[in-house]
Amino acid sequence: MVETLRSLMSRQKWVAIAMATIVLAGVLSVVSPVFLTFSNFQAILVQSSVTAIMAIGMTFIILTAGIDISVGAILFVTSALFAQLYMDTESYLLAFTATLTCATLLGALNGLLVVKFKISPLITTLATYSIYRGAAIHLTGAQNIPVPREMGFLGNGRIWGIPVPILILLVILIIGVYVLSRTRMGVYTRAIGNSERSAKETNLPVNKVLILVYGFSGLVTGIAALILIARVGGLQSGIGIGIEFTVIAAVILGGTKLTGGSGTVVGSVIGAVFLVLIDNGLNLMNASPYIYDIVRGSVLLAAVAIDRYSAVRQKASLEAQRAERLGLDTPVSRAGGGISDAPEVAAK
Amino acid sequence: MKKIFGAVLAGAMMTASAVYAEITIGLSVDQLFESRVAVNNGIKAEASDRGYEVIEVVADGDAQQQNAQIQSLIAQGVDAILVCAVDQNTIERALLAAKKANIPVVAYDRDLPDSRVVQAFVGPDSLIDGRLAGEYTAQVLADYEGEITIVELIGALNDQNGIDRSKGFREGIAALENVNLIEVPTDWDSARALSGTQNAFQANPDVAAVFAATDTHIPAVETVLADLGKLVPKGEEGHVVITGVNGSNDGYQAVLSGTADAFVVMGTEATGRKAVDLAAKIMAGESVDRLNYVGGNLYTAADAEANKAKIWGAPK
Repeated sequence: MVETLRSLMSRQKWVAIAMATIVLAGVLSVVSPVFLTFSNFQAILVQSSVTAIMAIGMTFIILTAGIDISVGAILFVTSALFAQLYMDTESYLLAFTATLTCATLLGALNGLLVVKFKISPLITTLATYSIYRGAAIHLTGAQNIPVPREMGFLGNGRIWGIPVPILILLVILIIGVYVLSRTRMGVYTRAIGNSERSAKETNLPVNKVLILVYGFSGLVTGIAALILIARVGGLQSGIGIGIEFTVIAAVILGGTKLTGGSGTVVGSVIGAVFLVLIDNGLNLMNASPYIYDIVRGSVLLAAVAIDRYSAVRQKASLEAQRAERLGLDTPVSRAGGGISDAPEVAAK
Repeated sequence: MKKIFGAVLAGAMMTASAVYAEITIGLSVDQLFESRVAVNNGIKAEASDRGYEVIEVVADGDAQQQNAQIQSLIAQGVDAILVCAVDQNTIERALLAAKKANIPVVAYDRDLPDSRVVQAFVGPDSLIDGRLAGEYTAQVLADYEGEITIVELIGALNDQNGIDRSKGFREGIAALENVNLIEVPTDWDSARALSGTQNAFQANPDVAAVFAATDTHIPAVETVLADLGKLVPKGEEGHVVITGVNGSNDGYQAVLSGTADAFVVMGTEATGRKAVDLAAKIMAGESVDRLNYVGGNLYTAADAEANKAKIWGAPK
């Protein structure tokens, strides 16, 4: 059993965060009798949906070794656009179409700036963060705008008994998994993250892929924005502040490497659920509001430690396989890397 | 030609002296959101009535940026600075520069109690505001039988207004016995308020009341109640008592529809006008009180519409 798990952990990076999630859920189910109920399970998934959807988009970006700090601002500006447009025109079709188009274009603009000006994605999107957020404040005059009650269906409604945000998350997750594992786009995305230079040398459409990836992240952020304002009942000027860090944390927790090339959207969704679990547990236990940050930090640290352990195991396993193939008694160590952090194998 | 040149020169000098005589207020804002804009509008209205100019700078929640902006206001030679600080510790150095330049500083909405520069503060009496909501809740639930579960949506834990509203609310419900208070931190974020409320209702299905430190969280509470089939108007069986502090349109609409029971409306315009008045008095060499509070008023469905003009967030 342990060996099977180890083997699985070495092949699928998201298994580590899945295990951490199960351990945390186990602890919470002991601490709170309410935790292990169907309605709480549904609530956790609904609460994770916005971050998880955005994390799927962000996974694509981080897989290319990029990053988008402006997603919180895209969330805000697209929410503002929807609320303002609906208030002015009362046309759902126009408001939805314009919002999702705008979200995609803002994301794609980030990609375009990254490829055209060759500036680091971090700096580029830090600048656009400011521009997008400023534009939204200008558009709304920092006023809250309520959304119509029917919008509540998007955040609160059910189809076949399943909450709509969970269904939307599932659809986007399936698309994300399919694109990453079954299409050229997925292969190119990982290839760019592994080595952009090599990708260019082999004539891959690097610029096109990067713009598409940032545009896709913008689109899913727009969808997340609609769910969020439907759930909170309107636009507020504090919407989306700091959400980019939660989204990036979910992606990293889910096993995607910040340096690009390796990661899965499934892992990112589990990462988002894991982050929600912490607050859910603290709420259920009626914990003191002053310990939330301490618990969050400690649990995150533990999750990262599990992830690190899994990475060490993975490297050790690969080196052991390589040594076995080469018929060596001791594992091979590559220059500058090697297995110095794999004590079990090194000790053989 | 000489006459024309002389007349132009004299005119220019008169204009320059007129500009010089004008009073300019530097307005340093932490970040923009609905109630802050309402206070700032009060500041601008009072300044306009007095013929003052206002230079407004917004820090977008960045303490370092606010420091730089205050330095810039000093460099522009403003006559007084009204400040709502992002961070108390970071801002002091910039304010010391204002003191050195003999520019009076008035803090508004968020006090800087340890500052050696700030000469006056004007803002809401959050303790009283919270207490009003608490006392109302206690009054409505006075005959409640059994354990009374109350969910409290707390604002940011580093914001004195949030802390005081919470403290005041607890003082207000002190008369109730057998209270189970569920504390939900929100950091003023409605998404967190929504998740926290949903989780609190999972653990405690028999919640009797919800107190929102800001009434902008009330629509999120409504979402949770609607999802649980508990969105029952005031006066009907199973109604959850909801109160909040602020005075936004969210609170106003919720009270009018009967979803929420009462809300405490802050005197945003009065706060803004008082800030300018304090600055004017200090500039004129008059002495002023260090602490100036503008108390809020509690409204229910019975009197909210009639007092619409006093509710800053109500549609005009």
